[in-house]
Amino acid sequence: MSNVGHALPDSPAIDFAPLIAALLAGDHAAALKETHRLRALGVSPEAIVTEGLEVAMDRLDEKCTIEQFNLLEIMLVGRAVAVVVHELFPEGLQPEKGRATFVIATLEGDVHDLGKNIVRTVLLGKGFRVVDLGRDCPVETLAEAAGREQARAVLVSGLISTVVPQVRRVRPALRRRGLDRVTVVAGGAALKQLSPADLDVDYVAETAFDGARYLENLVTTEGTVR
Amino acid sequence: MPRLTLFVRSERHVIDYEPGQSLRDLLDATDFRVRSACHGLGACGLCRVRLLDGTVGAPTAAELLQIEATDRAAGVRLACQIHPTGDIAVALLDPAPPSEWRTPPPGLVAATLPVTNCDRSRPPGIVNPLGLAVDLGTSHLTLAFHELASGRRLGLRFGRNPQGHHGADVVTRLVAAGEPATARQLAGEVRMAIGTAIADAAQREGFDASRIGRVVIVGNTAMLALLANRNHQRLLQPSMWSAPLDCAPTDTAEWTSDWSIAPVAEVEVIPPLSGFVGSDLLAGLVASDLLAGPAPALFIDFGTNSEIALWTGTALWVTAAAGGPAFETGPGRCGMPAETGAVYRVVFDAAEQPIARILGNDEARGLCGSGLVDLVAGLRRQGVLTPVGRFADGRSAYEFVVGKHTLALDWRDVDALQRAKGAIGAGISVLCTQAGLALRTLRRVVAAGLFGRYLDVENARQIGLLPDVPAEHIELAGNSALTGAVALLLSESARAMLARARATASCVNLAKMANFDTAFLEHLYLRPMSSS
Ligand code: FES
Repeated sequence: MSNVGHALPDSPAIDFAPLIAALLAGDHAAALKETHRLRALGVSPEAIVTEGLEVAMDRLDEKCTIEQFNLLEIMLVGRAVAVVVHELFPEGLQPEKGRATFVIATLEGDVHDLGKNIVRTVLLGKGFRVVDLGRDCPVETLAEAAGREQARAVLVSGLISTVVPQVRRVRPALRRRGLDRVTVVAGGAALKQLSPADLDVDYVAETAFDGARYLENLVTTEGTVR
Repeated sequence: MPRLTLFVRSERHVIDYEPGQSLRDLLDATDFRVRSACHGLGACGLCRVRLLDGTVGAPTAAELLQIEATDRAAGVRLACQIHPTGDIAVALLDPAPPSEWRTPPPGLVAATLPVTNCDRSRPPGIVNPLGLAVDLGTSHLTLAFHELASGRRLGLRFGRNPQGHHGADVVTRLVAAGEPATARQLAGEVRMAIGTAIADAAQREGFDASRIGRVVIVGNTAMLALLANRNHQRLLQPSMWSAPLDCAPTDTAEWTSDWSIAPVAEVEVIPPLSGFVGSDLLAGLVASDLLAGPAPALFIDFGTNSEIALWTGTALWVTAAAGGPAFETGPGRCGMPAETGAVYRVVFDAAEQPIARILGNDEARGLCGSGLVDLVAGLRRQGVLTPVGRFADGRSAYEFVVGKHTLALDWRDVDALQRAKGAIGAGISVLCTQAGLALRTLRRVVAAGLFGRYLDVENARQIGLLPDVPAEHIELAGNSALTGAVALLLSESARAMLARARATASCVNLAKMANFDTAFLEHLYLRPMSSS
């Protein structure tokens, strides 16, 4: 996404820094106000994503590695990003043609899906097609969707340990449908303490960004497009 | 609070205590028990101490009988016969060997019975039969021994659930139990623990365990299923959680023989309501008479799995929220359960330095849930922590010194408390929405559980752990599950109340509620519930 649209890059009024700061502070009201301001100046939604959201995501990624964020802080950033994305694309972010599809869900038994929403946002920001099955999603529904949507990978998140047994059922459910090539990535507070072997997945993501990087690598090195 | 200075072998310990109990009973809740074999009647003569300093009453008739005049002159007394009120110093002449089992800390179990008449028919063929009520919790077991005819309490025992070493949380244990040999082992461990608690109580309180003719067990669904070794693997499937689960034991003859109680003893495992709401919640509702008191009323049993009930006056809504271990085992690195050695209360002095109160020992071993709440609320007031749960000055931990130890409260510990509180707050707000009630209309809030017992209500309200209702509407009920189990052991009316609660309750699965996420986020903040 390098398209800056109708932005006027030289105009001093077009400053993405306040939006980025509001997003990182998790202040969704301020982020929304900044979005309105930029739109009024004629900045395209796409430019707000590339110059605002994606930059904020990269900063958060850096900050997360040096600083510690508690769940509330991360969720507030996630909410601010979601509010802005919804404002810009009420119909959903248009996937860039040709990039891989990921199916993402919070599995049955877990009610917290804001962490998953952040991963979705990061992946959308990177231009992937993301099919979000929401929270409390049965394993079978997830496997079915992976087949239907021709997903390259499925991502499951879990904040609480009750979800661990569900995660272990994902790969067998995919295999039963002949989807052996689908990569399985897990993330979330309860899961990241376990090893891929424990969970029977390909990768356990430390953070949303870590997961997104892994998937981006996977798709790039393969060079395959599904 | 007056102070008790103890000399045990060559060590000196200082403990603060609430007057009102005999010295034997005071010590029974600590790490320093005296020997005993007569329930403190003054009949066994084993509980000898030497009074070194301070005053207590004149020797009782039992002491005159049990202690030689020369020993009396040297200050030897029976711990069960003296009721200290001021600062005293004593030497334990014959300390009891350390036991896994203790008397629960004062106030954990209600001293008065929730029932007035002991009208349940008694098991036949036993002279003056006894009953045992058991609350089987994820982290602790609590047991109460009573005479079935009079309801008189003979003793209480409290100790850790030995399954803890297979994992602090329920899911880890359930997963481990997928292996049949491990499942048998887990069931055996709890059964064994109940057996050793019975033996400890029978010996110290001086009764014959073979007179125990009825056992009533309540607990969360997973613990009951693991005890009976039945249907526990179903609990790993969320689709089963809202349905009832059969965890009645198939054969209790082996249990009664393991426990050396009457072979004819009835063992009643009170069935849970569903996969996520156990019979401990039902027993708590019986103990607090929730369906008969002022309404609307909210009942919260704080634990690793916190169960919540809302009684509107006509409808009973129940749910369970994953609280995490913050309440029962305390915060991360510096945490511990509310056992001897736990910092259970933290107040700040004029210089904003924390002062810690410790349970049953003078040496702090860690911080338990209620101490964590006090500390976080205090740091919030001082502005050291922000409402978002961050250290305002960017540090990553707050260190404070208690005696010889330095305890460090990490940002992760604060995060864990926020998560636990967020889940419970969201559960409460979802139930209120379901019932069409506003939080401030609550006329009664019962906070139960080991953690609930020591909670500072004001601090809990300030950080939004308890609803923002007038303090006089909030009750700290302690282990209401055990109190309810005792009522079920003794009384028909309690059984009728249980049946009514079971028939009225509607289970709410938080996972299915659309408003859960927003509520969870709002309740993660360290601020009163009214601002969420
Ligand atoms: S004489 Fe004191 S406990 Fe027996």
